[in-house]
Amino acid sequence: MDSAREEILGKVRASLGRGPGSPVAPVPPTTRVSPRAPASTDAEIALLFSEIEKLNGITRRLAGRDDLKTALAELVKAEAVKKATLWATPEFQALDVAGALKALGVELTSPQADQRLVAECELGVTGVDVALPETGTLLLRSSPEKPRVVSLLPRVHLAILRRAALRADLHQAFSEVKQDGYCVLVTGPSRTADIELTLTLGVHGPKALYAWLLDEA
Amino acid sequence: MPIKAQLFITCLAEQFFPGVLRRMVGLLERLGVEVAFPEEQTCCGQPFFNSGYQTQARELARKWLEVFGRTDGFIVSPSGSCVDMVRHHYPHLFSPGTPEHRLAEDTAARTFEFTQFLVQQLKVTDVGARFPHKATYHASCHLLRGLGVREEPKALLRKVQGLELVPLSSEETCCGFGGTFSVIYPEVSQAMMEAKVNSIEASGAEVVVACDAGCLMNIAGGLRKVNSPIKAMHLIEVLTADRGTP
Amino acid sequence: MSQAAAPIDFRTNAQHVPPKMPAAVQKATAKFLGSRAALVEALGNDLWQTLRQAGHDLRLHAITHLDHYLEQAERAVTKVGGHVHWARDAGEANRIVLEIARQHDVKKVVKSKSMATEEIGLNHAMEAVGIQVIETDLGEYIVQLLGVGPAHIVVPAFHLSKEEIADLFRKKLGVDAPAEAEKLTQVARTKLREEFLAADLGISGGNFLVAETGTIVTVTNEGNGRMCTTIPPVHVAIVGIDKVVPDWESLTVLLKVLARSATGQKITCYTQFISGPPGAEAETGPKELHLILLDNGRSRILKSPECRETLLCIRCGACLNICPVFNSVGGYTYGYPISGPTGMMFASQILGAKAAGGLPFASTLCGACNDICPVKIPITEILLHLRHRVVEGDEQEKAVAPYALRMGAQAGSLALRTPWLYRLGSTMLKWLQTPLKRDGWLPRLPPPLNRWTMARPFPAFASDFRTWWRTRSREAKGRQ
Repeated sequence: MDSAREEILGKVRASLGRGPGSPVAPVPPTTRVSPRAPASTDAEIALLFSEIEKLNGITRRLAGRDDLKTALAELVKAEAVKKATLWATPEFQALDVAGALKALGVELTSPQADQRLVAECELGVTGVDVALPETGTLLLRSSPEKPRVVSLLPRVHLAILRRAALRADLHQAFSEVKQDGYCVLVTGPSRTADIELTLTLGVHGPKALYAWLLDEA
Repeated sequence: MPIKAQLFITCLAEQFFPGVLRRMVGLLERLGVEVAFPEEQTCCGQPFFNSGYQTQARELARKWLEVFGRTDGFIVSPSGSCVDMVRHHYPHLFSPGTPEHRLAEDTAARTFEFTQFLVQQLKVTDVGARFPHKATYHASCHLLRGLGVREEPKALLRKVQGLELVPLSSEETCCGFGGTFSVIYPEVSQAMMEAKVNSIEASGAEVVVACDAGCLMNIAGGLRKVNSPIKAMHLIEVLTADRGTP
Repeated sequence: MSQAAAPIDFRTNAQHVPPKMPAAVQKATAKFLGSRAALVEALGNDLWQTLRQAGHDLRLHAITHLDHYLEQAERAVTKVGGHVHWARDAGEANRIVLEIARQHDVKKVVKSKSMATEEIGLNHAMEAVGIQVIETDLGEYIVQLLGVGPAHIVVPAFHLSKEEIADLFRKKLGVDAPAEAEKLTQVARTKLREEFLAADLGISGGNFLVAETGTIVTVTNEGNGRMCTTIPPVHVAIVGIDKVVPDWESLTVLLKVLARSATGQKITCYTQFISGPPGAEAETGPKELHLILLDNGRSRILKSPECRETLLCIRCGACLNICPVFNSVGGYTYGYPISGPTGMMFASQILGAKAAGGLPFASTLCGACNDICPVKIPITEILLHLRHRVVEGDEQEKAVAPYALRMGAQAGSLALRTPWLYRLGSTMLKWLQTPLKRDGWLPRLPPPLNRWTMARPFPAFASDFRTWWRTRSREAKGRQ
């Protein structure tokens, strides 16, 4: 038996005047605050983009796959991308993101490769599981198809999202992901104000965040 | 039936600002209030309570309640921190359900700081005062956050003829008095006092107004130390400035 | 009582605050307060107050049912493949970490910012056995290179200039970078990348621990929190038992108030939700997750009904930012990793009255902290009780104030509640002050009031109200 465990729980119980079978009151209703009410989809998208831009993220709307190819070409040039790593979701396979990047001369690194190699990638491309307009937040889940390092190690993070990802508030997002082993809320590129309170971007996480909404059904 | 007010003069105002007390009596009487002074009062015990000496604070609270508990009418004080002591801390010094606790609650319920009394109880903001000067207001912490009195003093000041109320950038920042804090951590108290004095000087005011003897002792001392021409005055002194010395 | 500590001498520390410190503190806090105020206004005060009350009530609910939620969290973490350890005190927590390090032959550790790890002195414990520990939060990295602790729980190195940091990097890293925030940050990014990728173990704290699913929540901006918990093969999280929240829905309140209160951001860049190590499939992330539940005095804080709300704290730092004392002296004066009002509450209870009995008095009780706390901790009420504990003792601890002071208080109380003694004293002071009086003031007074007059003159004793009242009453009677 873990004596530290017993001692700590014993002290906690003694402090509270509780025993092992003591009842647990339900979480008080006053602690539940309603989720925000969403506006129209277009207004939510505008809000999402505006919040992301306030945080130095770069947004774009894509009408379809051709648009995606053009945008990727511009991004690769602007950010001098030589290597990239991506999610391996059915969505990305359908969009052939890998193919589009290879066609631009970008070398693809598997996210499961040695982390040093993944870190050499300038670009990481992910989808977006949930988008929260109020704060400009992108929720990314984690799985063998959606490795965490893709949105973490490269200098540039490109997140491709769909309307279907929009949720009004954290409440809805949480009820969908709470049983996952991992997820992360990403809000803007990484930042710090640790030096003289001057804002600098790109500390340990990505220095640039691109959020593209793909409108194609 | 005229409104009756028992004067709770407070130990600091009694020792250091007797003029404020005299003026308060005159002003209340001009407003039609019947003023009484329970002579056995001494100190509410706040310095002891704030220093952790709850035993001694309880003794002084008992004495205070003995003196004021048997009076009738309102209990009015020119100091926010003393009223905060009575209203918020006195009941906690006694076990709930005891007669002492009930007396504390009942007496506290009719104890008010001066501006609270004037504005909330008498519904008066214009006392017909005249004070043609630029003034700025320092919000004493216990008055502001303990009693929730934010607008009343300024409402009174705004009705003073000729008075120009200018903002104080640090209006709601503590002046550094803190009772025994000023002698336990004098360097920090001094730094806070100096910050307050700098802010007052930057406001452009000729006078800084406050409603607490502790703050006034501290700020007035700080202004004197730098030979500032700015005067520190109690709100009551501003409201009775045109009345001459009582 | 936890580890023996040298008594914290707040006054001496306050006397040695570096001249640049107050201005640097005030610049930092003004920025955070301004951003916070703008966000609170945008949200609307009604909603903000609702969130504060909700945050208070759910944190209080959590700690008053702490045994239940800790057991629930333990079951949940274990179910998803994490290892749960319990540490009664700092020494035990460090031993557990060292044992995990030994098992994995750890030579290099990367750490994200965690006040709990500072509290237990983890870095020292690891370095003592030859393990290299690297702080990866930029501010912590900087103060670590400098060999000092954090000056603020959110921005540890705010008081240092760019030039000082450039100098530091030159000396300690052998890197010559211009004194610009952008360039210096780049230096740290490059250097720390190597460390992340080479580390054997990643250590984090936890902002919250969700009992419902055994989820560790980390709230960060830089990405180092993600790096520490994703790149090395083993992740150890040290989380105070007070960090437990019942469920994910609790986070919908707490995540809305935390960043707004701390830095004036709606939310930080990265909020992670870690429930156990990743599955066995080919997914990146650590192979092992260890959660160390740290008591170190928290169960004792829980015992006192007057003080237990100390444990509601979500470490936002807003009380530091608004505190006029903190703004005058900065974090180091408190002698504890957590400073400001919440630090005073924690330190004096975790270290005890003998070691930290002066801390509850390092406040004017102005109450600004009460109003700004996002979970409505009655901070000044708690400090008042802690003062009572120091001078009179309570169920938790015996009094530590010198007997002479207590005698003085008794004498003072007697004099003050005996009206004739009070009046006599009042009259005597007016006589005694005569040689010291200058123009209505007392510029110099003997001890202990010399502590007042060193800063400003004392007003002269001038009581005459009672004689005035009596004369006036007599005259009024005479006229009747």
